[in-house]
Amino acid sequence: MTVPEKVAEANKKVIDIMTKARPVWVDVRPAIEVVPGMDKDLILIPGPPIEPKDLPIPLKTAVCGAACHDGLAKNVDEAWEMVLAGKIRIAPSQDYNCGNAASSVMSPSMPVFVVEDKTSGGKGFCVPHPGSNPRVLRWGIYGDDVEENLRFIRGDYAQVLGEAVRASGGIDLIRVLSRTAGMGDENHNRQPAASMALALELVPRLLDVDHPARDKVIKEIAANDRFFLHVMMAGVEAIMSSAKKVPYSTVMVGMGGNGIEFGIQTAATGNRWYTTKAPLISGIFLKPTTTEKDLLGYLGDSCVTEVWGLGGMSAIAGPAYLRMTGGTFKDAKERTEKARMVSLGEHNFAPVPWDDYRGFPVGVDIRKVVGLNILPISHGGSALKTGGQAGAGAAELPMDVFRKAVEGVYEEVKRLEVEA
Amino acid sequence: MTDVSKALSLFRSELVIVNVGPKSFADVLEKQGYRTLQVDWKPAAGGDKKMQEMLEYLGGY
Repeated sequence: MTVPEKVAEANKKVIDIMTKARPVWVDVRPAIEVVPGMDKDLILIPGPPIEPKDLPIPLKTAVCGAACHDGLAKNVDEAWEMVLAGKIRIAPSQDYNCGNAASSVMSPSMPVFVVEDKTSGGKGFCVPHPGSNPRVLRWGIYGDDVEENLRFIRGDYAQVLGEAVRASGGIDLIRVLSRTAGMGDENHNRQPAASMALALELVPRLLDVDHPARDKVIKEIAANDRFFLHVMMAGVEAIMSSAKKVPYSTVMVGMGGNGIEFGIQTAATGNRWYTTKAPLISGIFLKPTTTEKDLLGYLGDSCVTEVWGLGGMSAIAGPAYLRMTGGTFKDAKERTEKARMVSLGEHNFAPVPWDDYRGFPVGVDIRKVVGLNILPISHGGSALKTGGQAGAGAAELPMDVFRKAVEGVYEEVKRLEVEA
Repeated sequence: MTDVSKALSLFRSELVIVNVGPKSFADVLEKQGYRTLQVDWKPAAGGDKKMQEMLEYLGGY
């Protein structure tokens, strides 16, 4: 077989993994018990690798807060000294088949959603979405109130939710997404439909759980319209854990930002990152006093949803999100059209009625991005440099990471050809 | 005898210029009152020869 034939075959395999996936939410467990490679001194962070000294303030706060939460340090100052000394290690979540949205981090004792792709056998993980309270580790804020909520999530919340999910025998996320067809969500920054469809499956099981905190947990979940996002991120990671094992493929299988740098991963080179300066998210601000100068670069792994065809890729499915963040219906259509021009597959689970019943484009081919000069767009929430959410909007993915990825895959394929 | 009426009618109709390349070429013509249609075209990989070779090795795009 020629190199182009091998690349075409590998890409078909990856697109099959992505489009035939059946991610099923099966459990809620402490990260240390289920995440391969998780260790008691390890904290997983969003985006590509970063030196501890370079961590932006929100991530520094989240890492130190998580270290205190896990009892690795007595206070945040001690935690920071330990991080700088390498006694507490940090690593990119996506290298461990995990995703951490915004400034979320994952420490060993934190409960994680466990999602299995029943088609490819991959497993992925993500911490629960903490709800609408703005004071959360997820936005780089830590204090007594945040710690109290983290303990609730690690304790009663994880026990009740885990029991309900296990009793369900697994919740099929494709079935959940299928129910949202035509309900106006792009499923990255807007997902009330999917969260409600998930609640349809979950609440009856939760009502069967015999636990004193049961009603409080139901209230938390039922009132959180973004609950689905973190379940889906675990689902995407389950799928990508299989896609990362396909040599020769030029399909993007990971991306995220740590506020300073933004990076992508490809199937051919697995967990190798291709990075550049993190782009800013443009859109709306929550407060009128916020300006662009207050913004941190792209922060978080929630854009793994785009890697699997949601969010900016399927912007036409959720035009209301664009309206909210300063765009138009035409912009939504254009975003999805751009994504189609650089993607190799299309989902069939939630066709969009106002887009000729077409599905979401999926599987960005780095060759097409570079060759055609077309940049896909990711949606996202923006972070303040000092911690807290700034707003929400979208960012054009930087061309530099795709050019570096083409070079990286080219070198890897050359190496494989010499070995063959 | 060749029928040139179609060709002649083309010259009598409004001229619409299709511009492939820098938009500034079309801008100049528009300032002179001509209608233009801009084709959204860019050289492969931004014209980067090395990148084009790597893309070709990997099967094109």
